[in-house]
Amino acid sequence: MQDFFELAVGAAASGCVYGLIGLAYLLIIRPTGIINFAVGEWAMLAAFGGYVTLTKYEWPYPVGMAVVLGLMFVVGWATERVVVRRLVEGGAPLLAPILALLGMLVVFRESISVTFPPDPHPVPDAFGIGRLELGPIGGTYQSFFTIVTALGVFIGAWLFFERTVAGKAFEAVALNRRAAALMGIDLTRVTALSFGAGAVVAGLGGLLVAPNISAHYLMGVPLAIQGFTALVIGGVGRVAGPLLGGLLLALAEQLTVRYAPVPAGYAQGVPLVLLMVFLLLRPTGLLKAKV
Amino acid sequence: MKLVAMLAAALIAVAAQAQDTIKIGVITDRVGVSKPYSEPATEGMVFGANEINKKGGVLGRRLELLVEDDQSKPDVSAALARKLIDQGAVFILSVSLSPATQQQQTVTMEAKTPQMTPMNSADYLTTQLDNPYFWQTGPLGSVQIATLLAHAKKQNLKRVALITDNSDLGQAIGKAFRGGLEKAAMQVVDEEVVPLGATSATPQMQKIRAANPDAMFVAGVVTATNVLIFKAYRELGLKFPIHASYNLSVPIYMTAAKGLVNGITFVDAYDPDKPEVKAFEATYRKETGKEPANLHGYGYDGIMLVAEAIKKAGSTDKEKIRAAMQSLTYGGVMGAKGMKYHFPEGKRTGFDPNGMVVRVYEGDRQGRVVHVGQQ
Amino acid sequence: MKSENPLALRATPLIRGAGAFIVLAGAAFFMGDYHNDVYRKLLLWVTLALGYNFLFGVCGQVAFSHFAFYGIGAYSIVIFLFQLHLPFPLAAICGIALCIAFALAVAIPSTRLEGFYLALVTLALGQLFIVVLNEGGTVTGGTGGIANYRLPEIYGLRLRGPWYTAVIALLVVATYAVLVRLDRSWFGRACRAVRDNPEAAAAMGVDVARTKVIAFTLTSVLAGIGGMVYAFVDNTVNPPIFGIENAFLLLFMVIVGGAGRHAGAVIGAVLLFLLPFWLSPLVGHHHALVFGVLVVAAILLEPRGLIGIYDRVADRYKGSPSR
Repeated sequence: MQDFFELAVGAAASGCVYGLIGLAYLLIIRPTGIINFAVGEWAMLAAFGGYVTLTKYEWPYPVGMAVVLGLMFVVGWATERVVVRRLVEGGAPLLAPILALLGMLVVFRESISVTFPPDPHPVPDAFGIGRLELGPIGGTYQSFFTIVTALGVFIGAWLFFERTVAGKAFEAVALNRRAAALMGIDLTRVTALSFGAGAVVAGLGGLLVAPNISAHYLMGVPLAIQGFTALVIGGVGRVAGPLLGGLLLALAEQLTVRYAPVPAGYAQGVPLVLLMVFLLLRPTGLLKAKV
Repeated sequence: MKLVAMLAAALIAVAAQAQDTIKIGVITDRVGVSKPYSEPATEGMVFGANEINKKGGVLGRRLELLVEDDQSKPDVSAALARKLIDQGAVFILSVSLSPATQQQQTVTMEAKTPQMTPMNSADYLTTQLDNPYFWQTGPLGSVQIATLLAHAKKQNLKRVALITDNSDLGQAIGKAFRGGLEKAAMQVVDEEVVPLGATSATPQMQKIRAANPDAMFVAGVVTATNVLIFKAYRELGLKFPIHASYNLSVPIYMTAAKGLVNGITFVDAYDPDKPEVKAFEATYRKETGKEPANLHGYGYDGIMLVAEAIKKAGSTDKEKIRAAMQSLTYGGVMGAKGMKYHFPEGKRTGFDPNGMVVRVYEGDRQGRVVHVGQQ
Repeated sequence: MKSENPLALRATPLIRGAGAFIVLAGAAFFMGDYHNDVYRKLLLWVTLALGYNFLFGVCGQVAFSHFAFYGIGAYSIVIFLFQLHLPFPLAAICGIALCIAFALAVAIPSTRLEGFYLALVTLALGQLFIVVLNEGGTVTGGTGGIANYRLPEIYGLRLRGPWYTAVIALLVVATYAVLVRLDRSWFGRACRAVRDNPEAAAAMGVDVARTKVIAFTLTSVLAGIGGMVYAFVDNTVNPPIFGIENAFLLLFMVIVGGAGRHAGAVIGAVLLFLLPFWLSPLVGHHHALVFGVLVVAAILLEPRGLIGIYDRVADRYKGSPSR
């Protein structure tokens, strides 16, 4: 039982990272319908940003984090400006920007690959290395920091969509682009903002997970797949979807390894089978969208 | 008329010079998963070839390296092996993925062209195919575990845990480790795999903790995954000793795993106190201005072995080179003090089974050699 | 009728196919070992791209399982031949049966899924396949794969070198012929209808689910047959060939060439497969970055694929104002 509580904190932290990546997808899907598989590479870019600002130049953590996330907003905005806007305004089918962004995935990864050596680059924990015990529940500072930060982001996103006019504008664009335009919503700006915000959220996920997995040129694709899985499990209908999906995915991954009586090599296959079964049984995700 | 004659003479001279080089093919990976290991090894080869050429080359001819990038794709790798053979390479050095090296073998076997991998360590490379034109001087997984076990003899281990990653080399080394542990009559109480892309190794380490082993053997070869394992080990406050594969010998751990590696025992093919190593490191630093590591040493030894074989063969005839290579004995940078590569009785794995050393991390630094060989 | 060329009218599909085969196979006899090898692998990619184009471009299904089926074909023929010692024709039939069984098992439940949900299921399947290959012990040879076998002799003949290239050329031409005929039949129209508007297709009497299942199974089996041929190209099979990375590359090939167009798939496969071979000597390890930039540029500038350029040129030449 002790093991379970210990695992729960670590798994929750992993789940929150998957959730953040999932949220990055969601922020872009909502107004535009575009699935952006390059979010994993955004997380990687931010992790390398963390390496440069925090490890190499040893800036204070909040400063480094703010600078990196600020730059991520620019990266997301620029991606939209250069790659997506042309296609959307040119009336290309929805698949075109999705595939162009898949191409950007290669561009981001290779840019890092030719700039940095191929070894893993260390990124520091926010509060150093140490353990926090809360009754039976214990975990590293970084785990708790990840959970608290992710929850904050999700609450913020929920408030934004539910309580603000701007959030409603996003929602309106998601429901019907033409109608939204007629209502006087600036489609271009909403799309650009959604990419910027998506990059910030994905980057935050990358920064939070980097102390564990190190900044590495091949780290993006696994995160992109885990985040997308989280999104699909939770459903795109609600903001809390990716968080729920991420937590479930991380728990499934880690509990399988710990408790399932399958040979070690096959344990990594179990979440994949679960995912396939889940998709076939419930293709719309766990949380239904509000009507 | 004079001009034409001069031009013709110049052309002939150029042609002679071009023909004068001995072409050595190198298949490396510059963009794929093997990049962290392939790139330094290739740099070591280039450095070695320059050194040989400065001293007048081999058989009075310069060595010319033809470097190709296979992107860690085995099918592309095999095609590149054919390209190098077409271009006149008399020897191919392979430092990409193990399955890529294997797929090149199907070509070199057919084309009867000598091929060697100076760093791949999967045991299957010389057992799966009976290719008399292929040699392997990377330290085998089976040698790694035997050396680690010889060092750990005093600890009287009975129950051990094994952990690795799901990369192809990690799996191959894991298999070799399991074989070695079983051969030593140890009980493998738990065996775990950390997949690439995992964000935590805590569940694997909890399971190992629950199995309560006397020691844990790390067969993984992916640095990022190994760092995850050591993180979980520290977080769970585990105390059993760790014995790790030669991956721990790469210098990146000193920065990428700060505060995590103290006390870890690992097997290495590199002894920094060996005179040859000191000489190699000094000249490398002087010539390139960069800090060399053991990975550069693998590539350096590879090109040196090939040069020796060609020298011994006295010609660039592939069949003669093959015979010379098989009967070669050569001491290089890698291996314990006094170790020599050799291929006795038709064996094609040249790293002396007693040539590996065991070292221990002291703080974040790789310490001195504490044990040599399998005795 | 679009064609005004009297010669083209008289050339039956059979004659045209035979001509294409002779040209493609004959070329192999004028190449050295290296170019033959690259050519063989290129033709296999073209075969895969043609099949994938039918699944993705014509039928609108985004799947990443194509390389898993390629791998099932490759591994199954090797295992059936050299571990179970079945005779060659039986081994080939069993391999195809295995591909059909797997394809149906995936396709029947997945047809309820749309767009990227199918992508995710097949992505998981592709990863699962690699896990199974790695853990398959002596059957799959683990991470080292299987080597040390040769194509069996048929009537005392062993096909090798350019002769084996001819086999692959036959595969390409046959695949192309089958897919083009299928595309022009009622089934092709049904597939396009399902891609463009499933509801309308259903209203017109197309069985949407069955069309999707047939298209998925058919193209997966074509990939499996390609895999069987691949198994004897280098006489070795190992897991990295059948990974997810290659599945993405296949998608890029079809997109860059022009989704839904057979010629587009061919162009895309040829270009993207050969690109690293051309670029690597010019720009060294930056070739992967250049590759990414080119893919993005192609999608941005030619959303209908490179075949779109050909269309424009052809239109201008004809002076047709219609497009």
